[in-house]
Amino acid sequence: MDETILRMNGIVKVFAGVRALSGVQFELKRGEIHALIGENGAGKSTLMKILLGLYSADAGEIMLRGEKVHFKSPAEALRSGISMIHQEISLVPEMDVSENIWLGREKLFKSCGLLNKKKRVDETRKLLESLDIRIDPTKKINELSVANMQLVELARAVSYHSDIIIMDEPTSALTNKEIGLLYRIVRKLAKEGTAIIFISHKLEEIYEICQRVTVLRDGTFVATENSEDLPMERLISMIVGRKQNRVFEKANYSTDEVILEVKDLCKEGVFEHINFEVHRGEVLGFSGLMGAGRTEIMEAIFGITRPESGEILFKGNKIENKNPADAVANKIGMVTEDRLRTGSIYTLSVMQNTTIVAMKELANKCSLYSHKKEQDFFEKSATDFEVKYSSSNELIGQLSGGNQQKVIFARWLSTQPEVLILDEPTRGIDVGSKAEIYRLISKLAQQGMAILLVSSEMPELLALSDRIHVVREGRIVYSCNHQDATQEKLISYAFGVQND
Amino acid sequence: MKNSNKVEFVINKVLLRNKAALIMILMACVIGLIQPIFFTTDNLFNVLRQVCASTILAMGFTFVLGLGEIDLSVGAILGLNGVIMAKLMMEANWPVWLAILVALAAGALFGIANACIISALDIPPFIVTLATQSLFRGMVYIITGMVPISSLPASFVNIGQGYLGPVPIPVIIMVVVIIISYIIANYSTFGRHVIAMGGNASATRACGVNIKLVRMGVYIVTGICSSIAAVVTTARSASAQIAAGKDMEMDVIAAVVIGGTAMSGGNMNIVGTVFGCIIVGMITNGMNLMGINSNYQVVAKGALILLALVIDRMSNGVYAKFVQKKSLKEAEEAGKNTAEEGDKNE
Repeated sequence: MDETILRMNGIVKVFAGVRALSGVQFELKRGEIHALIGENGAGKSTLMKILLGLYSADAGEIMLRGEKVHFKSPAEALRSGISMIHQEISLVPEMDVSENIWLGREKLFKSCGLLNKKKRVDETRKLLESLDIRIDPTKKINELSVANMQLVELARAVSYHSDIIIMDEPTSALTNKEIGLLYRIVRKLAKEGTAIIFISHKLEEIYEICQRVTVLRDGTFVATENSEDLPMERLISMIVGRKQNRVFEKANYSTDEVILEVKDLCKEGVFEHINFEVHRGEVLGFSGLMGAGRTEIMEAIFGITRPESGEILFKGNKIENKNPADAVANKIGMVTEDRLRTGSIYTLSVMQNTTIVAMKELANKCSLYSHKKEQDFFEKSATDFEVKYSSSNELIGQLSGGNQQKVIFARWLSTQPEVLILDEPTRGIDVGSKAEIYRLISKLAQQGMAILLVSSEMPELLALSDRIHVVREGRIVYSCNHQDATQEKLISYAFGVQND
Repeated sequence: MKNSNKVEFVINKVLLRNKAALIMILMACVIGLIQPIFFTTDNLFNVLRQVCASTILAMGFTFVLGLGEIDLSVGAILGLNGVIMAKLMMEANWPVWLAILVALAAGALFGIANACIISALDIPPFIVTLATQSLFRGMVYIITGMVPISSLPASFVNIGQGYLGPVPIPVIIMVVVIIISYIIANYSTFGRHVIAMGGNASATRACGVNIKLVRMGVYIVTGICSSIAAVVTTARSASAQIAAGKDMEMDVIAAVVIGGTAMSGGNMNIVGTVFGCIIVGMITNGMNLMGINSNYQVVAKGALILLALVIDRMSNGVYAKFVQKKSLKEAEEAGKNTAEEGDKNE
């Protein structure tokens, strides 16, 4: 049973100058359940994508059953016995269970040149029974619960008789009972010799089911340990890393005046009973894992989506943001998480991207504006925010990520909002621009703006926030002041190891 | 660095922005060489008069394409509004100005209907306006009973056939519409919001722009432009024809795209659209002068639209590739720098 089936050595991957993985190693034995763990952005998914052939590594080698391999596509990896169950469901909703499981392999059930449905359904039934999954193979996918869809995905992965199955947070959509069933199936597969890579954010889960744990941090390999011999505190410190010096020193500009108050904000299945207030000049940080609901809370406050219940008060008055336009009118601005999708407008120039929010103020009563005025306005903003550009007419896509982000900051600040929501403001930008953006956030707080900062980067959150809330599974599970916050504390609440 | 920006500027501003003007000049030369009659003042004015209605229509269409959407019902709205005006003048005996005003309002209303259906039901504009096109055209058939309405009042016909000094009145109307469209597109917040939404609707919404209102505004603009085009067309032929405006959306799409507005939205080139309309008009005129069978003209027009789309795709491709190459190079440089930094830190 101790035979090594997969060995990845010295894997390096660089994206646009940023090292996503630097020399990562990973080893998997036949029949083991091996946890792969790390913070958001630690490199787990990049590593798995390289294994599956979705990305190609810039350096390093992959040895499968002792032979060097280099997959060009997931299909090729699948043929070599590696399958992956993705977090997002990837089934065809209009097809039934058996059709989905054998999708692309219909010729297995051919008789007289035609597809034999009965044969396929029987085969599916056998497969599902062997896994103890009670789902009717003729049921359409869109009639199944999310948990059952996940089980169908699992059955599909098993149907390939893969030697290696990668599971990306397989329990995130399951109830306790279903998790029990999943564990049973996973253990059974392992016993039969399948090696399982188990990606999870739930530490208890790892202790319950995994024999070994590999920890990644910031794209580097930390260690592979037997989970039995590994105390949880040590695991957490491995995930977090050495105590880092605070990346930036910010003074506390917080005042007593409450600017925005959120009361009992709920949206079923997304977030529940969210209560907080933010003061003039305060930076309120939101920590948590990806998918914990932080972005969704911010989007509900800003009117991108609507909450089901709860109140938002601006300086004590109830406000209702039906859409972002209302939020802007209520003096709230937001730098969204996804610059590509909801940030930069790529057909517009740097200048047009900067002035889009302030357009109304630049225009006269007939809502006409002068190009001279726009140009002056842009040049002032660009200087204030240290945007580096070669011509005001160049398209925003020609700027670096950091400069685009500065344009988006400039866009918002021109209207002088009193509340600014920043969702992952430094994602995907270089170190130099990061420091500039930290300075900017600090300056804005000093000027009296109330800032809600969502970030997955601990050092950033610790450096900038006056108070921090930790969000886990749609609820605020922990709150603390700047002085009391440590990476260990935030992480352990985010992972659900510690509860109040 | 500076040099590459210069090249970029030339590619972007000069060649791509004015490719319609270049095509127009080239085409005029070709047609003029084959048929010298083409360059007579009479014929050139003829071309201008012929393109008035489609240019006015194309102004509205530039806004829809800029938004990244499409309105296939413009031709049908033109036909329906012509009939509405004729009926009001001939059967209800309404004064000319009131009939025109009602037509303009009706055009706006049809636009609002299109926009509301698209926004409320979240159905692609292509499908929605294809349906309303049939709806409006059917109404023309029902209202007229398939008989054109003719002998319209002289004061109305004058709008289409009269002159102000040496200039035909439709040309004046066209110029006014072009100027207003140019101002709205380039100097109004609405115009900016249109291209922003065409470029990235979710980002524009996140900037606090009410995108449903912007969409409604755009379809109102196309509706009103269709109505103005209806006035010009109906007055010029002195009758409300059942087939008025039919297939006109095809000419207009070709013209707008040749003019440099991208099918995918995100920019508007009003001046380019004017050139595009003249090109389409010149081709029709040239083929008539050469005595080409009208059936072949239909084929030629189809080929022209395809050509326009190829130009659209190619020119965007050239520029995108240029930008991509540049950003790739920058990324590499940035990568080198971070690597060096990393080495230093170690």
